[in-house]
Order: sequence, then structure tokens, then C-alpha cells
Amino acid sequence: MLREEELKTFVDGTTRYFEVAAQQPASIGSPYLLEGEPAMHDYTGMINVSGKREGVVYFTAPRAMLTVLLMKMQESDFSHESMRDLVGEVANTISGNARRDFGHDFVISVPSVFAGEKPQINRPTGARAFVIPIHWRSHSAKLVVSLT
Amino acid sequence: MLLSGADRNRRLLTAAAGILLAAVMGLVLIVGFRLATQIRASVGTLQQASELEAYPSAISEQLTALRQRLDTLEYTGHVHGELDSSVRGFNRDFTVLEHQKGLDPAAMHAATALWGNYTPVLAKVLSYHGEPYSDTATNSSLSRSGRVYYAHVRRAELFAQANAAALHGELALVSASLQARTAAAASRLRWLLSGGVLAVLLLGLAAAYLQVARGRGERAARDAQDQTRDILATVREGLFLLDADYRIGAVWSQALTSMFGRSDFAGLTFEELLRDKVPPETLNTAMKFIKLLWGERAHENLMKSINPLGQLEVSMDNGRGGKETRYLQFDFHRVMGPKGVKHVLCAVGDITSSVLLARELHEAQENAHSQLDMMVGMLHSDPLQLGSFLDSASAGLKHVNAILKEPARTHAEFSKKLAGLARELHSMKGEASALNLMSIAQRVHHLEDMLAELKGRSELTGNDFLPLVLKLDELLAHLRGVREMTLKLSSLREQPDSPEGTISAPALRSATAGPEELTATLQSLARKLAQDHGKDFTLALTGLAQCPPAYLGTLKDCLIQMLRNAAVHGIEADEVRRAGAKNGGGQVRVEFRRVESGYELTFEDDGAGLSPEALKEAAVRKNLLSEEQAAQLDNRAALALIFKPGFSTRNEVSMDAGRGAGMDVVARAVYGLGGRIGVSTNPGRYTRFKIALPAVDETAVA
Amino acid sequence: MDTAQDTGTRRTVKLLIVDDSNIVRRRIERSQQFDDLEVVGTAANGIEALELARRTDPDLVTMDLTMPQMDGIECITQLVRLKPEVRILVISALADKATAVEAMERGANGFLNKPFTDRQLNEAIAELMY
Repeated sequence: MLREEELKTFVDGTTRYFEVAAQQPASIGSPYLLEGEPAMHDYTGMINVSGKREGVVYFTAPRAMLTVLLMKMQESDFSHESMRDLVGEVANTISGNARRDFGHDFVISVPSVFAGEKPQINRPTGARAFVIPIHWRSHSAKLVVSLT
Repeated sequence: MLLSGADRNRRLLTAAAGILLAAVMGLVLIVGFRLATQIRASVGTLQQASELEAYPSAISEQLTALRQRLDTLEYTGHVHGELDSSVRGFNRDFTVLEHQKGLDPAAMHAATALWGNYTPVLAKVLSYHGEPYSDTATNSSLSRSGRVYYAHVRRAELFAQANAAALHGELALVSASLQARTAAAASRLRWLLSGGVLAVLLLGLAAAYLQVARGRGERAARDAQDQTRDILATVREGLFLLDADYRIGAVWSQALTSMFGRSDFAGLTFEELLRDKVPPETLNTAMKFIKLLWGERAHENLMKSINPLGQLEVSMDNGRGGKETRYLQFDFHRVMGPKGVKHVLCAVGDITSSVLLARELHEAQENAHSQLDMMVGMLHSDPLQLGSFLDSASAGLKHVNAILKEPARTHAEFSKKLAGLARELHSMKGEASALNLMSIAQRVHHLEDMLAELKGRSELTGNDFLPLVLKLDELLAHLRGVREMTLKLSSLREQPDSPEGTISAPALRSATAGPEELTATLQSLARKLAQDHGKDFTLALTGLAQCPPAYLGTLKDCLIQMLRNAAVHGIEADEVRRAGAKNGGGQVRVEFRRVESGYELTFEDDGAGLSPEALKEAAVRKNLLSEEQAAQLDNRAALALIFKPGFSTRNEVSMDAGRGAGMDVVARAVYGLGGRIGVSTNPGRYTRFKIALPAVDETAVA
Repeated sequence: MDTAQDTGTRRTVKLLIVDDSNIVRRRIERSQQFDDLEVVGTAANGIEALELARRTDPDLVTMDLTMPQMDGIECITQLVRLKPEVRILVISALADKATAVEAMERGANGFLNKPFTDRQLNEAIAELMY
């Protein structure tokens, strides 16, 4: 069973990114359990976890949110590549936080990034996915944590 | 650093050798200096003595020369002068010699005596100052005074010729004695120097030996120091010594650094070390505990169990900038010195892994217990009921998740969810407790508690809901486990001749329980209930052996439910019983017997009894009756309310009773067997249920 | 014939057992395995314990902490005042370390946790006897 502090670490990693990168903290919405197929926005950054826990953690966000985020970061390049880089960065921050807190127990992969296409997600059998909506300004993204 | 005894001895020896060396050198120098001074003086004297030896013959020769000149009437003045200075010289040197010590006294005495004889003779010669010759034009001759002078010279010449050898001899003796003395002094000096050199050599050797030995000792000490340092750098325990002021000593092991995230331990007090890590009361107790070690009464081995720092939870840097929780164990040992306790050795171990292991074991055990509870609950419940409960619970949790899924950003939006969630969970808990599925009921109960806590908050965010969704996940996993187990059980229950998928409850029950087991189960349940609810009662069972196997399963379910109700509602708490003048613990009596028409079961407790008015009120409160309907009920009808589905007389919620699903289930089971159930009561005295069951066709069952 | 000899044998150690539970008292009495230990009395509370200590002059006392009338802490305090050389082994189920440490401060010599095994009891007694 996933522990609260583990879930918090992933959530904090995500909200912290917004706070540091855009000087505007994100808030988290009402968390719930994922039923059925994972919901994906336009861009997704994902890390694979193995070791004490197995599964995936990913951050998925709509293009509009990422565009505003890039603007707030004083970027002028809103290309497809920039968007990919950005969700990759968020995933990187999440993975850094997790390494800091559970370095001993977790083996965490380098982030992989998906855009548009349906990502290949190997969710472990028996693990339910927690969906934590991430609200920032008027936009919403999702953090999905699915670990045994 | 500690000095070993041998090392200390070597140091003392070296110092002694040094001091001895200095003393010997000083002695040699002082004595040598004195000897040398003495020798120098002797050599001077010896020279004077040898010079004196020459005087007697010189005086004789000068007297002879003087006489010959007088014979030939030559000038005598300069010879007279030479003689005068010789005599003066002898007098001067001899006087000096006379004052020297250590000369041959006999020879000196003789020389003095002889010279004493010389003196008047020579004085007459030297006292002449006249003109010895009287000159005429043609010839010269001795004057009158000259003739006297000549006579004196002649006498002195003869005296000197007679005595010169003797005087010379005596003076030679004096010289010889002086020479001997000088030689002796020189020889002493030689010995002294040889001895000094030898002593210095020996001491030097000794010092050199000691130096080498000390070098070896120091090397050994340095090696030991290196080894100590290596040990302290490697050992996984945090080690340090505390002095009487609870200060940490200068030597400590490296492991402390990571344990406490600092490295300035030397001189730190124990209190300063732990101030931020330990609650003040614990630290206070710990300080008192250490103080005991300095006293004499306490036995170290017999106080380990009261060590307040036996398992200390601390938050440590994990080396990657984050924090992690570790568990430390402090061990204290006395270090004895010659005057009692010298230090307290403190060993700090990281026991995190064993603490976590113990916890996991405990959790596994708890899990096993709760699984067992769940199993028992499931075995006691109607499989069909269980199935429908699981379905409705799944639907309920889907609804719970749907409520969670509704987007929320503000406190109001989050707050709105709470009521809906509470409603869903509450009804689920009710159903789970009714079916005795305690493991499920407990989990839902916990969720309800969390909701109640959130309700009190003034500011709700998504973060506050994280624990909730985790708990929900756990509950879902648990329900899945229950469902899997139900499937396994139902496959066990399946009968070859029964249609597939239908479940034949009595088949399993008759297979698993006989009357003896039923008795044991009920007694153990009674004990557990008594303990859980703090009630004191005994259960008396009679006639259960007569129960036909076909009834046994149903009977068991009914008895469990009635026993539960009796323990929770019927039997009063001890103080209530005493106030009601009831003697001792409660009695629950169960009697099963054959009667003409079949069987009769009596279940009676001597508890509070049932109050028809309270039952009516409860029914109204639960919306089972309107107030008008209730008012029209007589006592009998009011008592029958207890068999109505969904009835409970307790408001307060506990695990064993609360929603009172009990008696309606019992009634339904009894009706299912073609039987009847009735209740009678005397408030404050007893409650009695009577169940009548039809006779069974024995051959059909067997 | 009276041939009592003291030489060479150790003097018998006199033990006083103080515990409000009858079961624990019997347990201690039964479990101790020393030939030279003599149980001179058992007391169920602090007041009884002090009175028995005056009469029997024990060398060793096992002491419960939570007892009616006079608790163990108070009893230890008075006992040490009465007989400074007596050795006291606290045997208690108390989980509160602060009280346990206080008992030691008042003059107890050792602490044994309840429940205990025979071996633990005998080791603790041996530690205090010799």
C-alpha cells in the first residue's frame, strides 16, 4: 500500500516546479482513484519506478497550460519541442524529490515524454492509480501515481 | 593519550640518566679544575726550586772570582754587584718557597739552617762599600779596608766551598719532593679524566638505549593511536565518553556525524546533543538515568530495561538533501577508574532496520488477525447476504470516488463533498457491522473518523484529501480480498447435486461444527464479549447435544447474535448491577430441549430487560413507525418491534452492536426453518427469548 | 550434636517479596533457585513491607511499584532510610520510564520488567546477591 508521505513527495515535487519556475504556486484539487483508462492531456512526462515499489508516475498537461507556463518563464519558443521539454522537466523534478526522500528504496528511471500519441503505460497489476488534479491559474493538469 | 606503565618507567629512567650525566660532568670539571690549578702552582714552585739549586755554586764561583780580582788588584765593583743580586735573588725565591705547602719538611729545615749560616758570612762581604785599593803613581796596593774586605771574601769563599754542595743537596731534595707531588696530582687528574670519560660513555650508552627503547614505545603508542582512530572512523556505533558534567570527551566515533548531523562533539553536553531531538521530559528522565550510573547503588545490568533512550526516533539527513526517520538506541556503560566511576561510555546504535522489521511483523500479525476476524465474520454470515453486501459496497465506493472526482478548488467546494461522503460510508458501515464483517466495518469507521476531523477544519485543500483517497484505496483492496475469499468459500460450499452457483449454507455448517464445537465457540465468544465490553457474566449451556445436525448451523448463527445482544444491551455494567442490588456477575442461560412438537430453545439473560416505551421511541426515531402508530401499540406488540428489520436501541456506535441487525436476522432464520420466536421481559430483571422449532425427519437428515 | 560451622559457607541471604498480587509473590518464591536464599516474608503493600523489614531484617527486597496503601516509590524511600544497606530489585510492569528512573533515584538497585522469565529473575537476584 502506498503511504501518505510517498504520495505527498510526488505531489510536492509537482507543485514545487510551478512555484520555482513560474513564481506562482500550483494548488492541488480533489484527488480520486482512476477507473478505467488513464486520462491524458496533450503532453505527458513519465517516470518508471522499481525497487520497493513498482509502477509509474506521470504528469500530463494540456497545451494551453504549458504555453502560459512557458510565457511566465520568459520563454518565447512555444514549439512542440519546448512543450515536450517542459513536461520532461516537471517529471524530472518529481523524480528528484522522490530520490531525495526514498533514494534507498526506489529505483527511478529517466523521464520519458509523450505527446499526442497514446503512451505505452505498464501499470502493474493490482495497483490502482491515484489521480491528483493540479490547478494552476485557470488551467488544470493531472498527476497520476500508480505504484504497488 | 594514555601512558602505559612501562612507558612511564622508561621516561623516568631517561630523566635519571640525564641528571646523573650532568652531575658526573660537573664533578669532573670542578675536581679537574682544582687539580689543574694545583698542578700549575706546583710547577711554578718546582721551577723556583730548580732555580734555587743553581744559586749555591753561583755564589761560590762569584766569591772565587771576587777573591781572584782582589789578588790581581782588578776592578771588583761589578762582581760585587752580581754577588749582591744573587744573594738577594736567593733570599727572595727562598722566602717564596718557604711559604709553599707540602714540601719535604726535613730538607726544607736543613736548607733554612744552612742558609742561615751563609747569611752572616755573606753579609760581611756585601756590607763593604769602600775603595779596596790605594793607588800611588807607580803602584797600587790593597787599602786598609781592602784588606779587611779581602779577608771576609776569602772566608766566605772557603765557607761557600765547604757548604755549597750541602745546600744544593738539600734544595735538590726539596725539588724532588715537589716534583713527586706534581706527578701525583697529574696522575690524579689523569685518573679523574679517564673515570669521567668512562662514566660519560656509560651514561651515554644507557641514554642511547633508553632513547631507542622509548622510540620503540612511542612507535607502539602511535600505532595504537592509529588503530584507535581507524576503529573510531569505521565502527557503525556512535561511541563517546561522558564525564561527570555530562560532557562528551575529545574522542568519539565518526558514526556520530551522520547520526546527529554535526561534528563538534568534543566538550558538548549530552543535553545539548539531544535537545532538539528528544521531548524535554524524555531528556530529563535520560539525564537522571545517566546520573544513576555515577552513583553506587544502581546495578548497570539491572537498569537496561528502564533506559529512556532505548529506542529514539530521530529525523536525519539522508545524504541527498532530504530527511528520513531513523531509530537510535543509546546504551550506557560505566567506565571504572581507581576512584570509582571515571566516565560513562555511551554507545549509539542505529536500530532502524530491526525496529521496522518488528513493526512489519506486528503489522503482519495484525493483518492475520483481521483476516481471521474477516473469515469468522464471513463464516457466520449468509453467503447470499454477503454477496449482495459486497455488490452494494462496491457501488457505494464507486459513488464515493465519483464524489471525490468532482473538481474542487475552494474550501466551499471541498466542504460540500464531506456530507455526501459521510452518508455513503455510514450506511456501508452499518451493513458491514450487521454482517459481522468487522475488518470492513473498522476500515469504514476509520474513514468516517477522518471525515469528521476534516469537517472541523476552517480551510480545506486537496492536500487534506490525500489521506482519504489512500484509505479508500485500502478499503477497496480489502473488499477485493473479501470477494476473493468469498469465491473460495463458495466453491467449498458447493454440493455435487446442487445446481451450479447456488450456495447451500447448511451443508458447510453441518460439516464444520458439531455441538461440542458450538459450545466451545459460544463460550469463547462470551469471554471475548465480556472482555471487550467490560461486562462480567457467565454463559450456561444445556442440552445442545440434542440439537439435530440440520438445525445446528442456523442455531449457531442465532445464538451468536443473541449472545452479542445480551452482552451489549442486556447485561448491565458492574456498577449498574450493584446499584440494582444484583449479586455478582450476570447470567446468560441457554437451554435446548426436545418437546412434543419438536424442539425448544430458551435464551435468557438476567440483565436490564426490555422497555416497551424505549423500543417504541427508538422505532419512531428510526422512522419505522409514526408517533400515532406507536401510541397504539400494546406492550407485546412493542416488544415485537425488536424483530423488525433495521431496528436498534442504541444511538452510540460501537463495533459489536449499533445498528442492531441482530434480532431481525434471527427471526428470519427461525421462520426459514419453519419455527417461531417470541420474547418476554421484566424490566430490570431479565429478557427471555423462546424459539420453537419443528421436529425433523431424522432419517432424511442422516 | 551441635557442630554448627559458619566458616567457608556463605551467609544465607534473606529475601523479602513485596507485590500486591498473590500470583506474582508465589511466582517469585517458586522460581528463585538459590540454596542460600531464604524468603523471610511476603508483603502485599508498602506498609506491610516496612513492618516486615523491621522484623525480619532482609538483605534483598523485590518490590512492586503500583500497590494499594503505600506504593513502591514511597516504600523504597522509607526502606532505604530504615536500612541503607538493603538491596532492592524493582519488579514492575510499569511502562513509564520516568517513574522507573525515579524508583532507582530513590535507592532501588535494579529493575526487572514484568513479565519476566525464571532465568531473568534468577540472573537479577544473582547480580544483587553477590
